[in-house]
Amino acid sequence: MAHAQASNESVTDINAMQRWFEVNQLYTHEAQMLDEENYDGWFELLTDDLHYWMPTGETVFRKDEVPDDPRNMNYYNETLPTLQMRASRLGTGTAWSENPRTRYRHLITNVAVESADQPLEFNARSNFIVYRNRLEREEAWLVGRREDRLRRVDGRLKIARRKIMLDQNSLLSKNLNVYL
Amino acid sequence: MDARTRFDASAELQELVNLSAGWLDRRIFWEEWIYQLELERLFARSWLFVAHESQVPQVGDFVTTYMGQDNVIVARHTDGAVRVFTNSCTHRGNRICFADRGNARQFVCNYHGWAFGTDGNLNGMHEEDHYDGWIDKSGWGLQNARVEIYKGLVFACFDDDVPGLEEFLGDYRWYLDILLDQTDTGTEFIGGTVKNMFDANWKFGAENFTGDSLHASWTHDSGGRAMSFGRPVPEFMPVDPQSFHANANGHGWEGGLDGIGTLGLVGQANPEAMRYYETKRDEMAKRLGDLRARKIWGSVISASVFPNFSYLPGIGTMRVWLPKGPRRFELRAWTVVNKDMPDSVKDTVRDACMQTFSPSGVMEMDDGENWENATRSNEGVVTRRQKLHYGLRVGTSTRDDPELPGNISKPMYSDINQLAFYERWLDYLTADSWEEIPRQR
Repeated sequence: MAHAQASNESVTDINAMQRWFEVNQLYTHEAQMLDEENYDGWFELLTDDLHYWMPTGETVFRKDEVPDDPRNMNYYNETLPTLQMRASRLGTGTAWSENPRTRYRHLITNVAVESADQPLEFNARSNFIVYRNRLEREEAWLVGRREDRLRRVDGRLKIARRKIMLDQNSLLSKNLNVYL
Repeated sequence: MDARTRFDASAELQELVNLSAGWLDRRIFWEEWIYQLELERLFARSWLFVAHESQVPQVGDFVTTYMGQDNVIVARHTDGAVRVFTNSCTHRGNRICFADRGNARQFVCNYHGWAFGTDGNLNGMHEEDHYDGWIDKSGWGLQNARVEIYKGLVFACFDDDVPGLEEFLGDYRWYLDILLDQTDTGTEFIGGTVKNMFDANWKFGAENFTGDSLHASWTHDSGGRAMSFGRPVPEFMPVDPQSFHANANGHGWEGGLDGIGTLGLVGQANPEAMRYYETKRDEMAKRLGDLRARKIWGSVISASVFPNFSYLPGIGTMRVWLPKGPRRFELRAWTVVNKDMPDSVKDTVRDACMQTFSPSGVMEMDDGENWENATRSNEGVVTRRQKLHYGLRVGTSTRDDPELPGNISKPMYSDINQLAFYERWLDYLTADSWEEIPRQR
């Protein structure tokens, strides 16, 4: 019964609904920016003190599981300037593996939002499926989840921290020139 | 083997690699029978890199990896030695360890509970009483490889007749030491492994790192520009007439003598990193001499230990190209650092390595595209008939350089090391026994 009560509360909590709607709008907009390679538009959605982190995967026995640590090897361990550096590669005209362009599709689901310890911040979790298709028949599916810290800056919701966990051990493609 | 006799295979292989004219037949990147020979004759009898000692510091620590397509466990046994053995139960063949790394007292098969020690010995099994009188456990352990360690790098070999690791590395140790022997305390790997899959022949990775200076300023132009953060693009590969290709026993090293190209790239994000390197040069010079400490170390260098273990000194990437068939391989990569580096310098090297040479790296992401399509094009039978040019500066290497050991050719823009790689490849694939393989190349 306690569980049902809690559900009812959240359904009727207009503030929570509004917050969830706002986060979904942010993620939908972000997905569009990334699908269209509009990286300048994407950077507008990130705070100046961004930490963008994607640890590598591994397979271990349950007793040997340890928390992810950015001091180990990562796919991404980025700040806003290093993300901008990465994206600038595309503008050089010699990013051969992006010409012809890759077809990207970001699908973002299972969004859950919780209050954080800061008044202007939220924690948000989401799942993603990112499809990449390239040249004649190259395909890559990237499935995983994200844990974000979102912050309201000048009235606008932005991404301050993101941790990306891919549901793969060995990355099943030749490279990772996509943001998740 | 496609019904070919061994003699026919060797004769045919000789016609696929022309070292004096400098060309290769594309079938070596495509055909299944050649790939099977690689597994049997090269990977099953060469020394292969399997781990860095720092990955298994404590008794019971283990990692799993591949020698050819043989999955192996690399474990620190109770006697303190590193053991390497096959990861397949001697009862029904099931895999016994499913983890990339961990710590174990023994490895117990899921199927019938056969238990193997960290030395690969069969210790016992579930309901062992039934086996009284029916098995001599000492004869049913896992297959141990020979293991030798060179300055922290663990190598293993499944062939009992092959000479030891020092002879395998030969003159090339002089170059490896530039990376491995800078300090008293030696090197370690940053934790974790970056793994990813390529639909390409494994040799494209190995030959690229062993000698392909020329691709860098073209393939990686966009990465070089990005890494300059909008500042004027530095001369990414200095056109130094003293730059060189060096090879010994099929192992390759190519780079310049400017002493700064790579360290400048890695250290630009952190002044403490540059201070560390400059402070270390004096210590290095005492150990390795001025040439290696002040002119070679820090330059833009790429290198590879035959057959499939490659690295970039300074950038810190160390990696193996693990074959999964003629048209697929897995890349497993780590970052190597000096143990005595301050934490912030280790962090800088790790991040610079990841931002350049990893699946997300602005340099490496263009490599995979090349190697996959260089492999896939060969599906066309007519396309496959056309040779590939490997003739740049062919025949120019000599063994009499007053300072540099091994076979040397200058400058570094050549196919010399690639041809040395394929010469050694041919040595292994055409020889019926180790006696037929030249001890030194």
